[in-house]
Amino acid sequence: MIKILLISDDTNKIAKFGKIFDTSLYEYYLMTDEVMIQDIISSNTPDIILIDQAFENHKKINKIIKSICENAIIIYLISSNKLEKDIVNSANAFITDDMSEDLILSTVNVNLRMKNSLEMLSSSNKDLADSLYRLNAMYNTSSQFAGTLDKAKLLQYMAEGMDRALSYSLICTLSLCSENEPVLILDSLYELSDELISAIKFRTILNYNAVFEGKKQPFEIDIESLKVVKHIKNPSNRFTFNIFQYDNMFAQIALGENHFGFVEIFKDGSFTPDDATCFQTIAQQVALPLKSATLYQEIIETNAKLEKLERLKSEFISIVSHELRTPLTSIKNSLDILSSGKCIEITPTADKFLSMATRNVQRLSGIINDLLDLSKIEAGKMEFKFAPTNINTVIGYVKSALSEVAKSKGLILQTNEANNLPDIKADAQRLEQVLTNLVSNAIKFTPEGKSITVSSELIDSENIEINDSFKDDINNLSGKYVQVCVADEGIGIAQKDLHRAFDKFAQIENSLSRKEGGTGLGLPIAKQLLEAHNGAIWCDSELNKGSKFYFIVPVTLDK
Amino acid sequence: MKKILIVDDEQDIVESLKFVLEAADFTCYTADNGEDGLRMAKEIVPDLIILDVMMPKINGYKISRLLKYDAKYKNIPILMVTARSQEEDKLIGEETGADEYITKPFELDEVVKKVEQYLK
Repeated sequence: MIKILLISDDTNKIAKFGKIFDTSLYEYYLMTDEVMIQDIISSNTPDIILIDQAFENHKKINKIIKSICENAIIIYLISSNKLEKDIVNSANAFITDDMSEDLILSTVNVNLRMKNSLEMLSSSNKDLADSLYRLNAMYNTSSQFAGTLDKAKLLQYMAEGMDRALSYSLICTLSLCSENEPVLILDSLYELSDELISAIKFRTILNYNAVFEGKKQPFEIDIESLKVVKHIKNPSNRFTFNIFQYDNMFAQIALGENHFGFVEIFKDGSFTPDDATCFQTIAQQVALPLKSATLYQEIIETNAKLEKLERLKSEFISIVSHELRTPLTSIKNSLDILSSGKCIEITPTADKFLSMATRNVQRLSGIINDLLDLSKIEAGKMEFKFAPTNINTVIGYVKSALSEVAKSKGLILQTNEANNLPDIKADAQRLEQVLTNLVSNAIKFTPEGKSITVSSELIDSENIEINDSFKDDINNLSGKYVQVCVADEGIGIAQKDLHRAFDKFAQIENSLSRKEGGTGLGLPIAKQLLEAHNGAIWCDSELNKGSKFYFIVPVTLDK
Repeated sequence: MKKILIVDDEQDIVESLKFVLEAADFTCYTADNGEDGLRMAKEIVPDLIILDVMMPKINGYKISRLLKYDAKYKNIPILMVTARSQEEDKLIGEETGADEYITKPFELDEVVKKVEQYLK
């Protein structure tokens, strides 16, 4: 019904308008008393207010009305076209004495429609502003979610986001994210008594049992042991048990099979459907970063475990090597004393077996040294003495050290060095170790009468050819390198085994290498040593034709 | 005859060193722990000491330091025997004053040669 208030003491007008608005469409009041007018304007604002210009107090009443309701629609009843100045500005429309009934109704209706349009506009404006504010709050919350992998913080941001978007009285979040125990987080506007907290705990456990009905519960929860974290905004006030009568909403914080907990929100006032959407959205939004945070934590833990294992392995190798070294020394010493002939007579048979024992002790001690080297490199404890080094000098040393051994096996060891090679930044002794290993292997696996060639050259990264077995491991090459190649005409390596050539103990399956001796650690050590030089090592091979082992070390400009 | 003190808790190693050194005409004294080793070094005042690093009671580095800081003993050459173990690695960098390091397993001939070098 349309509420019409007439302010007039003119009986003619009262009768006239009483007749016009005497239908079920209108609720019609007549008032002249200031206090009563004030009351009705504040409690139940009329849609249209008609003020008689002839009414004595009309100016004062006009002011009172405007002060209470700025947008009230006021139509003035005037007797002539002569208007008082103040009225012109404060009236929405005018009705003159000579206007017909239809014209009066039409004037009233036009103003009513205008009022409704204005109200609609203002209400949709408010809705728009609310939505914008809420969107903004949700956007901020999302950005906060993206910025952390700390689960407690994520839940805190969730509560803050809900506060910004929904303004709550109380949020109860049951967090199942921590490993050891569930936590009930209470974000409350006012202080909560112990009794109230117990009641909230009880309610939470009921919710928990409902959520996990028929499923495996991640934790056993009881009232006594459930841990509570409180954040109170305004501790000087207290909530009562009335809070359970407040409007409330509930949402699970879950992603697929992952349950991170749930959240219940209470508000003194009612939630709108938009509030519900917003609440569910925030609760859903936090689940994804919680999942990421869980995964991240798992990765960190796995890494820590792996690091510990790696360290234990290095320590183990080091301790074992030490423990092996001492008894090995005693065996070796005893063999040396026996072989010296100072305490027994050495027959040819005794000599054969003493030599056998001595040879194997040497081999064992080689393995221990290699193991120690490898564990040192892997633990990052190997020290390198980098200095400008000419690779041809290294090749020269290795050649002079091993050419006798090669000769005794009926092999030709030749070198083919490029002239004017630039120096590389390297630990010459370590490169010698690598090259000695490669040439010794070549000597071991090459039959009599064949040759072994060690060559060096300066090469551009684009021209380095690495076969498919090693391509994935060796990348990021750039600039110039010094490349060394050890080519033999030996038994070679099958294509399928090539990629394993630098694995630890890879040779052990090869019966020839067992016969020939060797620790199976020489090539993995060489690989690690070259990696410490920012270089690389790989090989090409063809079964029964021979192998080519290449290594490269970068030529750096800094001296 | 020149006197050599061998200090090592590994009896087998002591035995083999003693055998080759006696065969090379040295008089050998032995101790199987650091405490006895230090006491004997002061009593006997040997011409040379062969000293293991990792030993119960007092380790070889410490004995070496104690002797080398003492004017009375600082001229006695010390050959330090090391197993390159991790515990030893932790001690690396400490001043020991040892004259020579021998890594296990070592060549007996080489030890004899080194001893002869120092006592020429």
